[in-house]
Amino acid sequence: MFSLSGITTALHDWLSGRFSEAWVMLIEMLLAGIAVISFFAILGLVLVLMERKVSAWMQIRLGPNRVGPKGMLQSFADTLKLLVKEGMTPNGADKLLFNMAPVMAMVIAMLLMAPIAFAKDFQLWDINIGVLYISAVSSLSVISILMAGWASNNKYSLLGAMRSGAQIVSYELSAGLAILTIVVLSGSLNMNDIVMAQENGWWIFKGHIPVIIAFVIFIIAVTAETNRAPFDLAEAESELTAGFHTEYSGMKFALFFLAEYVNVFIVCAIGATLFLGGWMPFHIGNWDGFNRVMDFIPSSIWFLGKTFLLIFLIMWFRWSFPRLRIDQLLNLEWKYLLPISMVNILLVAAIAILGWHF
Amino acid sequence: MFLARYIKSIFQAVRSLWIGMRRTGYYFSHHKEIITQQYPDNRETLQLPERFKGEVVMPHNEQNEHRCTGCTACELACPNGTIKVITKFDITPEGKKKKAIDKLVYHLELCTMCNLCVVACPSDAIVMAQTFEHSVFDRNQLTKILNNPGSKIMEGVE
Amino acid sequence: MGASTIIFYLLAAITLGSALLSVSTRNIFRAAIYLLFTLIGIAGIYFWMAYDFIAAVQIIVYAGGISVLIIFSIFLTQQAGELLPVQHTRRKLFSFLAAVIAFILIIMQLIDYAFVPVGQGSEGPTVMEIGQAMMGLGVGGYALAFEVISILLLAAMVACIVIAIRQKPDPLPAEETDTITIESGNTWN
Repeated sequence: MFSLSGITTALHDWLSGRFSEAWVMLIEMLLAGIAVISFFAILGLVLVLMERKVSAWMQIRLGPNRVGPKGMLQSFADTLKLLVKEGMTPNGADKLLFNMAPVMAMVIAMLLMAPIAFAKDFQLWDINIGVLYISAVSSLSVISILMAGWASNNKYSLLGAMRSGAQIVSYELSAGLAILTIVVLSGSLNMNDIVMAQENGWWIFKGHIPVIIAFVIFIIAVTAETNRAPFDLAEAESELTAGFHTEYSGMKFALFFLAEYVNVFIVCAIGATLFLGGWMPFHIGNWDGFNRVMDFIPSSIWFLGKTFLLIFLIMWFRWSFPRLRIDQLLNLEWKYLLPISMVNILLVAAIAILGWHF
Repeated sequence: MFLARYIKSIFQAVRSLWIGMRRTGYYFSHHKEIITQQYPDNRETLQLPERFKGEVVMPHNEQNEHRCTGCTACELACPNGTIKVITKFDITPEGKKKKAIDKLVYHLELCTMCNLCVVACPSDAIVMAQTFEHSVFDRNQLTKILNNPGSKIMEGVE
Repeated sequence: MGASTIIFYLLAAITLGSALLSVSTRNIFRAAIYLLFTLIGIAGIYFWMAYDFIAAVQIIVYAGGISVLIIFSIFLTQQAGELLPVQHTRRKLFSFLAAVIAFILIIMQLIDYAFVPVGQGSEGPTVMEIGQAMMGLGVGGYALAFEVISILLLAAMVACIVIAIRQKPDPLPAEETDTITIESGNTWN
């Protein structure tokens, strides 16, 4: 049966037979870096095309359909355009920070990729505190936006950055609490342990209504954290031209754009891991026959399927809902999501202690 | 009751969001609703919306007759001087002078397709056509004379 | 010199270099960003020592929390875009002296301290151990301190709400002068 861990093990054995241990480690790190970067590139191409098609169909349009069969090469054409465009730095901008900001956005997105389990035994870094690591590093993503907004020397950019900062800092709380519900239920911060805890059913089915509430809160909070509509106040085309990336062009803009989509993928991957069982196939309790059939689908397919389902959900939000005002945004977080998730985590703790989940 | 109102507002919010998502989800899954026309490709079978307005025309019947009396109501109604009615005086068989149009000059380059001239016309002589491929190389070609050469007014139109 | 040592010196260079830049730059926003890099460098050293939990907490609290707070207060300050004034030589001298004395103190402590060597590749404490120590009631438990700090935080939050809450204007028709004081934002009485 096809499995990604088989490939990596074979590669490791092949390399170990030829080089010394230090060289094997170096080569593997290099290969992992190349794999992550090329995965990013493919992800950007696929997600941009997906977003454009989804938005078109939801708005009764056709979407890109000229470049390549059914418009499938549209994002290649866009990338080519962005590559040959001039990357300008405006006058009066803080050049160092201006050029550093997009790179930093990308680096943070890459760091977030490390502890995600893409398939069974296929993970860059099996860190003991995976979930904590992810919430720690994702809290850094606001820095790149603040840097870009400040360094652009542009009022719109600064306003966008400020809004984005207020938004990310406040929505991190409810996202963290929603993640904590699953940590309470699984009793571990390790991504693999959380996945293994869902062997007899995903948490969203096992954990009753509190976990479903946590899932809804998580999805809302991460939509806000990735600055996507209806929470796209930071870029709000109609108010701030483009918010923090108003002054960016060419490849620097492309890096921001790519980082946004990679962040969407990562938060959806985390959501899929925590609530929908990650790479774990769909298992029901002790129906062994059914579970055996489900195991025939490779774990990487399960993982990507769930992740893309959540990505579609977030795109669906984007093309259905109007943008919130800043006061509505903060009301939603501080008056609704945060109190609800606090009560919810109490409920989940009670469930976990009393063992009421399946 | 604060808590009841709080919970009710949450349910109402979720319900209204769900209604919106159901609508976009319906469009997402029903591609026959797509209204985009792939214009140069489907030029033969192009379907324009009923109320699309392309330019002002004056319909003539088979005897090369139109319904325009030369009353200049359209010229007066036009907000930006698009229409210029040049009148003449016909001699009727009874020997009376009668006002009629010589030329109805229409400047397409000035027209905003506002439809006010068509509304103002008392004898329904002009209508909006659905043509839209108006681009020409010489701007003078956009100045059109709406009545055909040698045409005259229809019987019974006053 | 092993790969591990090279990584340590790289991290130390990043930390010290950005710390130096942070105090020497005259652009206050850049100083904040360099401070952020210093904090991230320290988190990197924790990761290098395999103290994952401390590293993650370092990033959450210092890099993600304190730095963003500093940057926000810079944004909300007037004239934040201008360069800071050049300091007097005397002030520079005294702050340099203070820093050197503090450095010497730390070095003296480090020399005196009897370090216990740990085995190669030893793991830091796991999250479970940290949690049990934090909430433990026995020897080395921090349950009391933990609870006291949470009550302090709760009190701080309540105080914030009390300060920020908007008092409804006095419903009684007061004299004209009184109305003016109420309207001019006298919110706490």
